[in-house]
Amino acid sequence: MISVWHYLAVAAVLFALGLVGFLTRRNLITMFLSAELMLQGVVINLLAFSRFHANLSGQSFALFVVAVAACEAGLAMALFIALYRRSKSLDATVWQSLRETGVPATIDPERLPASLPELADDPKLPVAGKKPQEAAGV
Amino acid sequence: MNLLAATTSGNAVGQLAAAAVLGALAIFSLLPKPKGRSIAFGVFAAIASAVVLVSWTLRQFGDPAKGTVEQILFWLFAGGACFFATVFVTQRNPARGAIAFAFVIVSVCGLFLLLAAPFLMAATIVIYAGAIIVTFLFVLMLSQSSGSSDENDRSREPMLGSLAGFAFLGLVLFALYLGSPTAAADAGQPTLPLPARPLTAEDRAALLALGEQLREAATAKTKDELHEKTRGLRDAFADRLGFPLATVEDKTLGADRSIPERLSLLVDPNSVSIRKNAEELRTQARATFDAVENLSVKPTATAEELAAATKELAALRESTVLLAARGELPARNVASLGYALYTDYLLAVELAGTILLVATIGAVVIAGRKGAPA
Repeated sequence: MISVWHYLAVAAVLFALGLVGFLTRRNLITMFLSAELMLQGVVINLLAFSRFHANLSGQSFALFVVAVAACEAGLAMALFIALYRRSKSLDATVWQSLRETGVPATIDPERLPASLPELADDPKLPVAGKKPQEAAGV
Repeated sequence: MNLLAATTSGNAVGQLAAAAVLGALAIFSLLPKPKGRSIAFGVFAAIASAVVLVSWTLRQFGDPAKGTVEQILFWLFAGGACFFATVFVTQRNPARGAIAFAFVIVSVCGLFLLLAAPFLMAATIVIYAGAIIVTFLFVLMLSQSSGSSDENDRSREPMLGSLAGFAFLGLVLFALYLGSPTAAADAGQPTLPLPARPLTAEDRAALLALGEQLREAATAKTKDELHEKTRGLRDAFADRLGFPLATVEDKTLGADRSIPERLSLLVDPNSVSIRKNAEELRTQARATFDAVENLSVKPTATAEELAAATKELAALRESTVLLAARGELPARNVASLGYALYTDYLLAVELAGTILLVATIGAVVIAGRKGAPA
């Protein structure tokens, strides 16, 4: 006897996280993977009910969900290539001229930091072709 | 907000709201932003939200499984999936995000195994491993790795987005709570909104034990031995299947009622068909035991009559075991899934294949360069 409720709760958490990722992130590839995360939540629901009712309808449906997700992945990647060729960016906001009339444009008032902190922490190598003491000015 | 009071008191809705608000705060402060991103506070809020949510789940729904091993595996895979999903959503670097997503897939596949779907587990691993590697290549090809960029270091409406997502989560979990046995017991309703499983684990164990006794009885060599071995069986079948059909007066049928009586309250097609099977088994059992008793009261029994009786007993055992198997998924997952796909869902399989073909053609057309040979 399984408890179907726990699986439904986990699926809801995964779906909510995927929803937040799809709504807030601006990288097209991250948005695509967030949509896949939501699909995984739905598939867990289907399998939990399949196990609970002891028939294979849920598992069959989950297979079709996976098939449609594969189609979606192929088309999304093709669209990313086509969009990247035009704008040289994966930012979804670049395409905001396609938005509905009356919707205000997204403006980014805050400036981005000059460099990533993790890159600033990287070790500095001496210039090639010189001895380390010369490069360090010792 | 007194967090500890919320986790120990009986206020289920307040605890759920606290978990949702904490989760929204955590994701909001973890999402990439040029200003005001606080990883320490975000991690703290995420851990607090997870603790509140797990305690809420344990109190409302109880333990996820009976065995310790299953519980450990469930919490391991569920926790892994949620943790890596959080990392994936809040990760600034898309390549690291893709790796976190791969771990989400692995954890979800563990949950698939716990849900008795080994074929889907293997298929998901294979498909998503390929998909994630392709995604990874796309990230390396298209995303410039040096410096900060608009798409990775900014979020679109982080506050509203996380509030919307966690309001959704809170409402879904609240709906689950309303349908759960705990809430039904709190409200004093005996019936569950979710249909009960037609055959309980006790039913299956009892039916399988009966089948074992029938197999034992079918090996009898003389009519006295047959009489000896089938003595208690008729009563056992009568208890389980209800030979004198009791009138169903009260709607609170306990586990002591027979299988057809309990199923008579359920109207979903699966329960109706299982109930039909149980009633057929009842008819068969009555006929078989009548034949066996007629044989044992006869002064002399020929070898042919004895053989016919044991054959009937063997047939009854087969039906009993088949009825017991109606309560669980079939053990041969791949074979049964293939059978279901190519009998019940044949049209859907063809349509899925067509959609895949169309999607392939569409991807080639969309991604192909205009004017260049394909």
